Amino acid sequence: MLVEWLNISSITAANIASTLSLSLLTLLLYQAAAYLQQKWQFIWLNPMILTILVLIPFLLYNQINYQSYRQATQFIHALLEPATVALGFPLYQQLKTIRRYWQQLISLLALGVIIVITLSFSITMLLIHQPDIAISLSLKSVTTPIGIALTEQLSGDSSITPFAIMIAGFSGALLGPSWLRFINIRSKIATGLSIGAASHVIGSIILTRQDPSAGAYSSVALILSAVLTAFIIPILIPFLMMFFT
Amino acid sequence: MKNVLYTALAIAFCLGLGKLVNHFIAGLPASLYGMIFYCLLLQLGWLSPNKVAHANQWIIKHMGICFIPAAVGVINHYELIKHHGFTIVISIVFTTFILLTFVGMVAERYLATSNDKSIEGSN
Repeated sequence: MLVEWLNISSITAANIASTLSLSLLTLLLYQAAAYLQQKWQFIWLNPMILTILVLIPFLLYNQINYQSYRQATQFIHALLEPATVALGFPLYQQLKTIRRYWQQLISLLALGVIIVITLSFSITMLLIHQPDIAISLSLKSVTTPIGIALTEQLSGDSSITPFAIMIAGFSGALLGPSWLRFINIRSKIATGLSIGAASHVIGSIILTRQDPSAGAYSSVALILSAVLTAFIIPILIPFLMMFFT
Repeated sequence: MKNVLYTALAIAFCLGLGKLVNHFIAGLPASLYGMIFYCLLLQLGWLSPNKVAHANQWIIKHMGICFIPAAVGVINHYELIKHHGFTIVISIVFTTFILLTFVGMVAERYLATSNDKSIEGSN
């Protein structure tokens, strides 16, 4: 019955009912997905992916185009800004750890950020030739809210960014620890920092389960890398763009 | 409930400040300026970390929902995924491992030893 009701409201697009129903549907689906993940504790049972796997077929089936969906769920998207501000709290919590060797951490992570942005942007430009996609892919190692904010600022494609971030997160989180052991990197600080820098929150969660103290380093790396990226990318992308135009 | 309101007002204030700064200096997105202000005010003790801790944790736990409207936009990228999906995934995984290797090796070489020493020293 809910589906029927949603169906009817979608025909008269852009009215209040469809705004409410699409937002409500998004909220409900996400809550259900988050509940499933909490219940089974599978990290790959990602609430965002699950929600989208249900939402996209629903939108296609009901012939709701993305523009009307985006308009209807505008307020959910608008909440991204205050949510990003809230990340200032974990940043504040990490300041104590960062302060001990902030110069080393900042130079190491800034170099990492420059390398990964340059590589991702150049590879994408060479293979796909689409600047907006290249911008999205070069933000793949940043935590999602900051990644989306930066993509929009640089006129990248903010629908590609969350998936790129997801792939970087899962590949590094699942295969990263064994790869690091393989190349003989065993210290907690090196493992934590590299997983946090490359695979952000997803890496950090998985690493914390295996080893809490390495996980703590990865939280430092993920928040610091994100802030550094915000400062570096607005200068670096226009510079890289010169080589491809 | 009082703390929830306190957190909401604190975040709104920082975001407002961020928007103001972003209006004059376009370097960072408004929300990132806001984040830095929020962190700064907590560090300076102008905002109470204890009061915001709980509500803030709730926000971060549930922020994933805010990504959905943007991510659904992938619906318009059928062609891109069909032609370049594989290339995109491979290049993401490749650059992720480059970054892992770089940060891991440098940290192992320069930070792990000094860190180990400091642990020995403190014992």
